[in-house]
Amino acid sequence: MSDYTVIGKRTAMVDGPGKVTGLGKYTDDLVLPGMLVGKILRSPHPHARILRIETEQARAVPGVKAVLTGQDVSTQYGILPVGRDETVLAVGRVRYVGEGVAAVAATSEKAAFEALQRIQVYYEPLPAFFDARASMQSQDLLIQEDCPRNVKKEYHHHFGNVDEGFARAHVIRQEHFYCAQVTHAAMEPHSTLAKFEDGRLTVWSSTQTPHYLHRTLSSVLKLPMSQIRVIKPLVGGAFGGKDEPLPPEIIAAGLALHAGQPVKITCSREEVFYLHRGRPATHIDMKIGVTQDGKITAVEQTAIQDGGAFCSYGVVTILYSGALLAALYDIENIKYDVYRVLTNKPPSGAMRGHGTVNTRYAFETVLEMLAEEIGMDPAEMRLRNTLRPNTRTVNDLRVTSYGFPECIRKVVEASGWKGKWGKLPRGRGIGIGASHYVSGAGNSIIRADLPHSTVILKVDMDGGVTIFSGTSEIGQGSDTMLVQIVAETLGLPIEKIRIVSADSDLTPVDLGSYSSRVTFMAGNAALRAAQEVKAQLLKAAANELKAQPDQLELKDEAIFVKDDPSRNISYQGAVPLALALSGGTLIGKGSYAPPPEARGGKFKGAGVGPSPAYSYSAQVAEVSVDMETGQVKVEDIWVAHDCGRALNPLTVEGQIEGSVSMGLGQVLQEETLLKNGLVMNPGLLEYKTPGSLDSPRIHSFIVESVDPEGPFGAKECGEGSLGAVIPAVTNAIHDATGAWIRELPVTPEKILKALAEKEGRRWPR
Amino acid sequence: MMAPFEYHRPRHLEDALQILARNGRQIKILAGGTDLVISMKQGLFEPEVVLDVKGLRDLAFIRYQPGAGLSIGALATITQVATSDVLIRHFPVLAQAAATVSGPNLRNMGTVGGNLCLDTRCYWYNQSYSWRVSCGFCLKKDGTVCHVAPGGKLCWAVYSGDLAPALMTLRAELKIAGPRGERRVLIESFYVNEGRAKFDLRPDEILTEVFVPPASADCFGSYQKFRIRGSVDYPLAGVAVVAKKGPDGRIHDVRAALTAVNPAPQLVPGVNSVFGQQGAHADLMEEVVRLALRSARPLKTSASTMEYRRHMLAVMLRRALSALLGG
Repeated sequence: MSDYTVIGKRTAMVDGPGKVTGLGKYTDDLVLPGMLVGKILRSPHPHARILRIETEQARAVPGVKAVLTGQDVSTQYGILPVGRDETVLAVGRVRYVGEGVAAVAATSEKAAFEALQRIQVYYEPLPAFFDARASMQSQDLLIQEDCPRNVKKEYHHHFGNVDEGFARAHVIRQEHFYCAQVTHAAMEPHSTLAKFEDGRLTVWSSTQTPHYLHRTLSSVLKLPMSQIRVIKPLVGGAFGGKDEPLPPEIIAAGLALHAGQPVKITCSREEVFYLHRGRPATHIDMKIGVTQDGKITAVEQTAIQDGGAFCSYGVVTILYSGALLAALYDIENIKYDVYRVLTNKPPSGAMRGHGTVNTRYAFETVLEMLAEEIGMDPAEMRLRNTLRPNTRTVNDLRVTSYGFPECIRKVVEASGWKGKWGKLPRGRGIGIGASHYVSGAGNSIIRADLPHSTVILKVDMDGGVTIFSGTSEIGQGSDTMLVQIVAETLGLPIEKIRIVSADSDLTPVDLGSYSSRVTFMAGNAALRAAQEVKAQLLKAAANELKAQPDQLELKDEAIFVKDDPSRNISYQGAVPLALALSGGTLIGKGSYAPPPEARGGKFKGAGVGPSPAYSYSAQVAEVSVDMETGQVKVEDIWVAHDCGRALNPLTVEGQIEGSVSMGLGQVLQEETLLKNGLVMNPGLLEYKTPGSLDSPRIHSFIVESVDPEGPFGAKECGEGSLGAVIPAVTNAIHDATGAWIRELPVTPEKILKALAEKEGRRWPR
Repeated sequence: MMAPFEYHRPRHLEDALQILARNGRQIKILAGGTDLVISMKQGLFEPEVVLDVKGLRDLAFIRYQPGAGLSIGALATITQVATSDVLIRHFPVLAQAAATVSGPNLRNMGTVGGNLCLDTRCYWYNQSYSWRVSCGFCLKKDGTVCHVAPGGKLCWAVYSGDLAPALMTLRAELKIAGPRGERRVLIESFYVNEGRAKFDLRPDEILTEVFVPPASADCFGSYQKFRIRGSVDYPLAGVAVVAKKGPDGRIHDVRAALTAVNPAPQLVPGVNSVFGQQGAHADLMEEVVRLALRSARPLKTSASTMEYRRHMLAVMLRRALSALLGG
């Protein structure tokens, strides 16, 4: 065990008290004098030309201070440089039900609603596409003019030689899977407050990516970045739903500019479903070959993702679905054809486990089928296909620390797998699944050759330390993580550390909370900043103690000579000396950029998939299936997650449990239902996220592979455990019933149908 | 966004009735608010006057006397019903049904009267104004067509309360106060099997009390509810069954009622006479299932499919009956 004093200790979140007492401020809690209510008029059509918009009557409503249409803010933007295909309000054409068409700011909600109803929009409806495969067949009717066959982007990658690989296989299995569209369902709906005062725009917003929002506000509203300040208040969950600049954020700012008064837009839950950016409905054809002794020889995947009307993160989503096939198991021959297809639906985007989750379900299911076919224990089969630490995969991903085998062994042992698999009575079953994820993307979205994270520390006269970081605390614990790293490095209790995060006027640039990058990247930046401060403290103490800095140790608020601890000075005593030595301010800065080896190969599309480190997860689920009703009860889930090192085991376990809950939702019951492009269940009553009563017993195990480059050896823990939940449960359902389910969510009715099919019956009779 | 309204919170029933009488159809009664407030935000109701009856504290009681029967005030909360020792002991089917209503906080807010007078529900109806503009209005609100059964003139929005079927099996009567005094109706004749008509309650009347006759006490009872989550969800199908057991072990006075499969909760007709016949229990049970399925017409008004909801109805009925026969 380590001899750390803060790292590895169960540490309560530093922003917890405000959340518990209610004193903490989320964006919608903020109120400014003269603040207006912003509301958005949304398209009732899935696809239509906008012939004319008349806003005169709306402007005449008493209390209305500003009205915007697409013409007023027509600059195209998008999170990806290759996907700048959105405008904040529709220009010329609407492409999904719920797309913004006009916006108003008014002194009351009532006036704003009345104004919306008085905006006259004349539409000419167009034929629409609601299914990705049908959309791809279209010759002449295009959702975006420059996207033939309505394909936004496609990649066809081939590494090794799959033909040779399949030729070597003893058994090959190819299956088709369908995964329904699901959404993040964060507790806090999106909210933005903007004010324009003295020529400067200030925006408070519920965002994972304040820096990208900052850039986008600048480019769409034509203001220099130096005239814009972006602040992220407390955020009530995000899961990818707030990790790109979204229309209401820019509209609120645009309305504030026009009205000359602060404007707040808080989305209704229904509007959150129109913003979407969740996991796309996906068709997957998965083909895997294995030898008689269970070694995977080749994998071939075709994935068609229903991207909705705009690109969003789509290019990344399809690439992750392919590239990361290589980073979990040792596979020499990999081919994937992946398509991001436009449809007339709200845009899909990034969601926890981005791009990997549906692919993992398909892959782990086919693997299970193959294990059954060759008569091998599926846990054993997975162990036979592990990578080795410090390898380069066939598609040029660098894998360093690799605790996956230990993850498998842990859950196999803890669950009593060997006594249960294939041996439980009918209706009871056990299944295994595995997944992984990046600890941040090796390449930044903005393609700038700059650090991905920078942290500044300032030490006060009394020895208190303030961290300035652009990271976005969204409930995952990033503020606490940074405080822990600085406290550990400077030998201080966490009470002495304060953090100011995500305020562009005060904090250095950080790319944001997405792709599980913050612990690895901002954590390393904080570590380096703290080391810089420590060096200055040691230098000052060395003068005082008549020693060399490298002879000194800083621990428990004291600096002492390692060989003779009686020669010491308190931390408190060293601070003024260091302040004097450094010219009155004791500051440190640190930054992080992924090393060149962790930035991928040279081929087109190689930029997505590389990461400085990968997390790993293995899971076993035990389920009961009511054979008469098809209802599934997940009894227990054993999860082992390799997070490198658990800086804060409390939050690591929280992330594991959250991943399990989210995965259970997707596998058993969640689905955004659309009829003719209209979301049928745009609320949390009819969109079925699981509740506490639906939770199984979750047994979490932390595997610490101690990554050579992670801060104190840490890697990601927020996303890697989601993907394994789904196949662990579906494989357990198979063990319980003998039925294979190739479609998510696995509703009881689908199980009854599959059972009936297997037994040559019809369901319903 | 809610349209503005005039708000009244009287302390006496007579005052409440006067306010109702003065305001005709432009008034809505608010009790726990767990159904009405959401619907008002969605623009389904835009009453000029809201009559908050939570001030009528006298109506929040549960009283039971063996031989005299059970009385429950319309403002008793669902939590009161679910946790009452008397109900758990003497009217288990009702306590069970109450315990399945939504989640704990909504059971604390929701009332017996509100649950019995729950608006009928449908995917195409319980949506925001702008959603309904996109879809096209339906005949339950502002429109002329039914999106569930196009071409039909009836509304199929489904009744989704849990208490009503339990009370039906207990032969409950409802007390309704109005300008012409109090009237009592059998609960099964209170409901109207059409999504808009819903129940027999005039705009100037208030449901004040539920009465269960003494003969219904101490029945074996079971309430089974199909829903997707363990909490919060409305039923997608629900079955209440009660029976009495004679000293000879034979069961009699069997009654079964269904919810969430029709615009109204309904007693399954003829159940008791089935159990009056000779025959193996399994066969009699199948006959009851057949009768129940004949009266259940779930359409595509909510999650899950019609076929599966009918399937679950049958399974739940079998399970409830088996539990009674075995118990």
